[in-house]
This record gives sequence, C-alpha cells and structure tokens, in this order.
Amino acid sequence: MLSGLLQRFRAGDRLALARLLSLVSNGQHVEAIRAALPVPTQASCVVALTGAGGVGKSSLTGKLLDPIRASGRSVAVLACDPQSPLSGGALLGDRFRMPAFADDPGVYIRSLAAAGGQGALASHLDTLIALVEAFGFEVVLIETVGAGQGDTAVRALVDVLVLLLQPETGDELQWEKAGLLEVADVVVLHKADLPGADRVAAQITASLSLSAGEPPPLLRVSSRTEIGIAELWQTIEQRPRRRAQRSDPARLLRLAQDLLADRFWQRAELLEQWRSGQLDDLTAARLLLGDSPGH
Amino acid sequence: MTTTSATTPQTTSPPLRIVLAKVGLDGHDRGIKVVARALRDAGMHVIYAGLWQTPEAVVRAVADEDADWLGLSILSGAHLTLVPRVLELLRQAGLSHVRVLVGGIIPEKDIPALLEMGVARVFVPGTSLDDIVAYLRAQPRT
Repeated sequence: MLSGLLQRFRAGDRLALARLLSLVSNGQHVEAIRAALPVPTQASCVVALTGAGGVGKSSLTGKLLDPIRASGRSVAVLACDPQSPLSGGALLGDRFRMPAFADDPGVYIRSLAAAGGQGALASHLDTLIALVEAFGFEVVLIETVGAGQGDTAVRALVDVLVLLLQPETGDELQWEKAGLLEVADVVVLHKADLPGADRVAAQITASLSLSAGEPPPLLRVSSRTEIGIAELWQTIEQRPRRRAQRSDPARLLRLAQDLLADRFWQRAELLEQWRSGQLDDLTAARLLLGDSPGH
Repeated sequence: MTTTSATTPQTTSPPLRIVLAKVGLDGHDRGIKVVARALRDAGMHVIYAGLWQTPEAVVRAVADEDADWLGLSILSGAHLTLVPRVLELLRQAGLSHVRVLVGGIIPEKDIPALLEMGVARVFVPGTSLDDIVAYLRAQPRT
C-alpha cells in the first residue's frame, strides 16, 4: 500500500500527498516515507510565521499567497493549531482565514494539529516539510500555533523565521525577554494601521539595536489595509536560507528525536523488561539507542 | 502501535478528520460551530471551513486535508441543489470514499432523496450532539 502511495506521489497525485501527510502526522511509516522521498529538484524556500495568538498569523499567511503566486511560484501552507491534551481533538480553523484558491493547483493548504509540550510544533514537522518540498512546492509557509514566548523551536526547521508583534501587547519589557526577538530573521509589526503602532515600532527598533550583530529588518504591515505585504515578501526572499547553509544542526537533532520516538513505542519487549524491573532506566535507554548493555 | 508525539503513545487509531462547511449563501453558523466543538471534544480533528463556501472550495479542502468525512450545514433550503453538486465534484476529484453528512433545516420529505444521492446521514434540528458523535464512532474507517 505504501509503495503504491509513494508511486502516485512521485507522479504528482495531490491525494497521495494528502494521505502521506496524514500518515506522517500520525507517526506511521515516518522513516520509510522519509527514506523514499525523491530528492527535490530545487530546495523550497521554507518560511515560518510565529507570534502570540491573535497577532494575525493566519490572515498574514493568506495575504502572502498573492505576491508568491504573482511571482509564479507554487506554495504549500502548513497551518498548525493546538490539539487538546485531554481529548486529542482539535479545531483547525486557520484555513477559514485564507483565500481558497480552489481552482489553483499552485496552492496547497493543510491544517495540522500540534500536541503540547513540543515547542508548539506539529509532530514530525520536518518530514511534513520534506514531503511538500519533494512534491515540488517552491515556497512552504508554516504557521505556528502561536505559543508566543518560547515558540522558537521551529527556527531550526525553516529558512526564514518571521516574528509577528502587534501594538498594545504589553509594556516595553516584553521585547527584552529572551528568546523572541533574538531568533527572528524578520520582525513584523502587524496591525500597523492601529493606533500606538509608531510608539511600539520605536520600542522594537530600540530593543533590536541593543543586540550584537546586524539586527533583523523590522517591517510595518497590515493585513487589513494590505500595507507592507509585497515589501514583506521581498524582504523574506532576500534573507539567507538557513536550511541550505546547514547552519543549524538542531534540525538534525529534531529529526533524530522524531525517529527515535517512533522506534521507542515499537520496542514492546524492551519496555516490558523495563516495567518488570529487569532493566534499570539508563540501561533501557541505552539499549533503545542501540548501545550494548553495560556499555 | 504508532505514536503521535514524543511523549504519548498512540494507543487508539488516528483521529478522524472531518471538514465542516457551509455552502451557499445562508449565514447561520451557530449550529455548525456547536457541532465543531462537540466533535473536537470527542477527540476528532475538525477542519472548520466556515461560511459562504463554494462547492469547489469545499471539495478542495476535503482533498488537501485528507478528510474522512465532510459535514455540510445548510439552512437555506438549497440542499437539493448544493448537495448533488458537492457529491459530483467529490466523485470527479477521486474522493468517492469520503462520506458526507448533512445537517440543518432539511424537510423530512427530502431526506430519502439526499440519502439516495449518496449522503451517509442527515441530522435535523433536535439531534443530540452525543448522537452525532456516536454515529461517527460507529462507522468503520475507510
């Protein structure tokens, strides 16, 4: 079944892509699928949009589809929404905020549920990106869950990380907290048509200027009035591609963790030996990693 | 089995994926939102496509989202026009395996026609949320 699916995928069947994305999301056959992916003819430009809930990630993602399509490039959107830690259920509503492009084969929009506790990333996001890239989408837009501070794990998986901020999100100290501004490749002051935007833009600029090295560009954008949308896409395109440069090995670690987690649950015998007390924690963990016991 | 995350083993089958949408021009979305919430709480992955969708956009969403089910909410009276259009587009897109539910203001006399066209089930006002969840859980996976 998997080989037929992969064959259809290679022939450009969108339904096969959709099914493979489901399998990988559910942690099924991840390693086999990853191993079977054709080498992309050209690396995609992978862009993540992150920022607190309500900052307008979905709306801006939808707006960016226009300049991307106008430049003739195909684009896949992977839109992440949170999954309930209790029921495992999810209400995935991001696609509702984007234009449908119903008759345009150059646009693919897929909703993903992200479990908590993983840096707000959908499971196996790296392999999901690899799938749409191997299918031939030239641009990949990732919309993160929007955990706000700490939602930085996606950085290693993408070429360009865009951080969205908005007026009236808290006092000046918010920008100084570690982790947010320092990982952004592009900073967007979204909803820049709202009052207070000038003051916040000045605060962000001041904060950015304090860090060592070249500060990331700050753009004022409004999805409502469409100010700054085309400029934002131009800016994103001109940034260096992190994945192509292989400058962040955290992506490799992430993939290794994904694959290890899948193997972990398949090692029923090992888990049973650990449960019954035959193996101590460290020995069991080392066996899982392929080490010999007592190593 | 398989796993959905690094921290939790997946002991049950993967969550059902269902696209919920309103096609045509009626603007009453309270019912579909209540259903969306109930299905989410029942552990399903609900792709909410919202109001004023064209049949083409709905079918595109079903295709790209790899949905198991499509739920259409229609309160405008246009069900006998819109539903066959959606079903035909699903067939053309190679999505005949996707099962379709219809909810909303559907006169009793129209239900047999909808089922005849290929709709799996029609839920009329007064249906309890538990019944919808129980129905979906009872159906075999395709």
